[in-house]
Amino acid sequence: MTETLASGQLLFAALATGASYALVALGLNLVYATMRLLNVAHGDIVMLGGYAAYWCVSLAGIPPLASLAGIALVGALLGMGAYRGLFRRMLARSRAAARLESNSLLLFFGLSIIVQNAAALAFTATPRGYQTLTEVLHFGDVALTGNRLAALLVAAALLAAIVAFLKLHVFGLAMRGLIDHREAAAVVGVDVDRVQLACFALGFGSAAVAGALLSMTEQVSPFMGFPFTVAAFVVVILGGLGSIGGGIAGAFVLGALETYGVALTSASYRSILLYGMFVLVLVTRPHGLFGRRSIVR
Amino acid sequence: MTTRRKFVRGIAASALAIASAQWTAAAPAANPVRIGFSIAKTGIFAAAAPSQLNAYELWREQVNARGGLEIGKDRRQVEFVMYDDQSNPSQAAKIYEKLVSQDKVDLLLAPWGTPTHIAVAPVLERYRFPMVGNTAASVKLRELKPGNIWFTTAAIPDRIGKELAAMLVANDVKSVALLTNVLPFGKEIKTFLEPALKKARIEIRVNEEYPPDIKDMTALLSKVKQAKPDGVIALSYPGDSPIYVRQAKELGIGAKFQFVLIGPAIDFFPKLLGSAADDIVTVGEWSPARNARAKAFHDAYVARFKERPDYLDSALAYLSCEILEQAVKSAGLDRNKLREAISKGSFETINGPVRFKGVENVVTQTGFLQLQAGVPQLVWPAALATAKFRPKTSW
Amino acid sequence: MRSHRDLCVLLAVMALAALLPAAAGEYWVGIGISLAMWIALTQSWSVLSALSGYVSLGHVVFYGLGAYVVVASWNALPLAAALPLAALAAAAFAFLAGWPVLRVRGPYFVILSLGVAELVKFVVIAVEAGQGNASRLILDTPDLNTIYYLMLGLAALATLIAWGARITRLGHGLRAIREDEEAAETLGVPVARYKLTAFVVSAAVPGAVGGVMALRATYFEPLQVFDPMVSFSMIAMSIIGGSDDLRGPVVGAAALTLLSELLWANAPELYMMVLGVLLVAFVLFVPEGICGRLLAARPATR
Repeated sequence: MTETLASGQLLFAALATGASYALVALGLNLVYATMRLLNVAHGDIVMLGGYAAYWCVSLAGIPPLASLAGIALVGALLGMGAYRGLFRRMLARSRAAARLESNSLLLFFGLSIIVQNAAALAFTATPRGYQTLTEVLHFGDVALTGNRLAALLVAAALLAAIVAFLKLHVFGLAMRGLIDHREAAAVVGVDVDRVQLACFALGFGSAAVAGALLSMTEQVSPFMGFPFTVAAFVVVILGGLGSIGGGIAGAFVLGALETYGVALTSASYRSILLYGMFVLVLVTRPHGLFGRRSIVR
Repeated sequence: MTTRRKFVRGIAASALAIASAQWTAAAPAANPVRIGFSIAKTGIFAAAAPSQLNAYELWREQVNARGGLEIGKDRRQVEFVMYDDQSNPSQAAKIYEKLVSQDKVDLLLAPWGTPTHIAVAPVLERYRFPMVGNTAASVKLRELKPGNIWFTTAAIPDRIGKELAAMLVANDVKSVALLTNVLPFGKEIKTFLEPALKKARIEIRVNEEYPPDIKDMTALLSKVKQAKPDGVIALSYPGDSPIYVRQAKELGIGAKFQFVLIGPAIDFFPKLLGSAADDIVTVGEWSPARNARAKAFHDAYVARFKERPDYLDSALAYLSCEILEQAVKSAGLDRNKLREAISKGSFETINGPVRFKGVENVVTQTGFLQLQAGVPQLVWPAALATAKFRPKTSW
Repeated sequence: MRSHRDLCVLLAVMALAALLPAAAGEYWVGIGISLAMWIALTQSWSVLSALSGYVSLGHVVFYGLGAYVVVASWNALPLAAALPLAALAAAAFAFLAGWPVLRVRGPYFVILSLGVAELVKFVVIAVEAGQGNASRLILDTPDLNTIYYLMLGLAALATLIAWGARITRLGHGLRAIREDEEAAETLGVPVARYKLTAFVVSAAVPGAVGGVMALRATYFEPLQVFDPMVSFSMIAMSIIGGSDDLRGPVVGAAALTLLSELLWANAPELYMMVLGVLLVAFVLFVPEGICGRLLAARPATR
């Protein structure tokens, strides 16, 4: 038993699952933490990214890794459009935070319905899939499927890049300011509108890329998004709102539970472990693993 | 302020315009036969329902091309009255109430999925309106009152359990790993498979269940690999079947008999998984090689939708239409006569003869398909097989 | 007082609605059941979330637990005992879960409530699987009209409870909590007790509602019954109706139900998209809800 637990195979699985959770959740963290918008359409952007990768492969023969940049760009543009067209007005009127939350929920809910049904109308609801990098590589006694390894590496690289950008670039500081205290950030000269626009762009863009990477290993269908939305919310809150690093850590905790938790107990407890741990962490640490107590609304 | 009001009015107006446009759409043919049903166009069943809807559409087009549905001596064009039940069985029940009491359709076709069929059955009972079901498979169906609903599938869990054990014995499988998704179809089959395996003295080396939203099976499959069973039986759904195949390939599970419950019969499966999906066995009782009608159906479906039909759902949906067609030909549209015709009659379909006893189809045999070079072949029962079972030797 | 008048009007309308089965066919009774269900659910949800600001995204957990109780006890208990038991079970769960869960604030509470709902769903799935079940079928359920009256009664009860919560000290305390929880506590509001009371009170009727809907559906599958869309719809109806008003949930439920009925019957291909567009437009242009807009149109005299 201990032999299996220490195996590289389980480690790879935990890392791969964790990285995919982390990349999906990153975009949500950017939108939710900075603007308190409950983006329940997040999973649907992931779905669109998946379809984009699928169509690139089947119509133009472009492998998913090559089309990533384009898909990220399209996602970012969608995000900017959503911000300019719909949310800027909502955010400008600083209402009671609770109402903004519920109203944004409804707004994104409506968007989610539109996006899902437009996709179903355009693509039909039949699931789609394609094959890429399906050879299994062996390192010692660890077997790695090419597409899974590629997804892990790309996700890790992207996460590192975004985290570095947020830490080192002044934009990251501005974002941090927005998360901690909105009004104060505006007072000290942060261009709130620009930062919010960039958050939407980065948030939607990273979601689309996550979807493209996922499409390498899973089938895509118009209504697949909602479970990803739920997972993303769980990861973001588990990690602690406002902490991008916390979100990533939370994702890997979930990935570890999915593999090691199951290995220690049984596959039938998988979902109970995941949600149970989430609930337990939050009731003992009400601000998540790395959340800040000082968030003012 | 005024622009806002204008906008809201504009939206309301366009919504009403769409609504009224649908309402006043011109009827396509004089005195058509109106056939009503609901289908899951949105929601969790939406990815599975197209297999059924496509078969319905294909049937309608073919019937209309032939001149229309034969009702006694008349031929009338078929028109569908279709609504979206949003994968919500209660909504489906409401829709069928509307179809019968308000839209006053002539005939009914079935919705998608076991829970939806069950939800609709009381409505059919209340209005005494016969409907031939298709994509429903559960032993619970036998508890429904017979007389207004029938089920065409032979993939009922108790029969599957028995036949699968028999097939394992026939192929010299002495030990298995049993992995079950706790959703109804998988769980029900497990209830009957376990005792059948014990009776056949097949050792169950790993017996695990997992929740439907599982994302990674590495820990589970490591256990399976260590146990080295002759066969792996994954009672999985389309969401997790690909996870099993991918990760079994990754870990290199060498079992010669690999069974995946739902997935391999659907077109996307080999497209997603390629050679990894080869030689995988799944549930299915139809193949284009069954008879000439079957081949014609298969080819017409491929030509129309540019993909293979689902060997389970599409075939069942189409043959339920065939049964309706043949019943209407002899009994007309009168519901009592129709009920008699369906309960007592014998029908020629793309899957051979079909006859009902109570709610169940007692002629079609429970069978299994195996993907060979990306094409599903019927490998069980031996009498109907289109190809021989091949042990899985590689991924 | 305005809310007394509102209550009388609403109850009178519901009394009138009791005549529906005599006046119209089964299809309309079916719609009536849906409408009454949403009113009952949304009113109950608003007692917690609209008043205290603790937006619960997992309220379907009470609905699901109630359904489970009725289905599991179908052969053992008469309905007259099973339905109150369903409400009691939901309330008991709220009491037990409320202690730890209500310590969590703001956005954390929102997602935690979703997490609790999902956790309970998977626990029920596991418990059922352990007994060899994946779904349950109940037979010989009451007829449609009986179900309608039960649901109408629950809608009236939920409205009464929501009214009661609003006018008592509980309601004022909750509103104070919504504005500023620390300040409320300093002022002597028994914050923890009030939150827990609101939580328990908001859980009971949804439990009974779940039980009644189990009778309507006759088929119980945990994955389907514990559907997050139910939670989302409660929130949507509350916002559309206008959340800080007794009439809000009724208006919101009626608006959305009527809209859905109009759309799905007449625009089968596009109706979901139209619904989505209308929701978006509504939030952008009428964010205070229908009742809020009506209130604003009137001069602010009481």
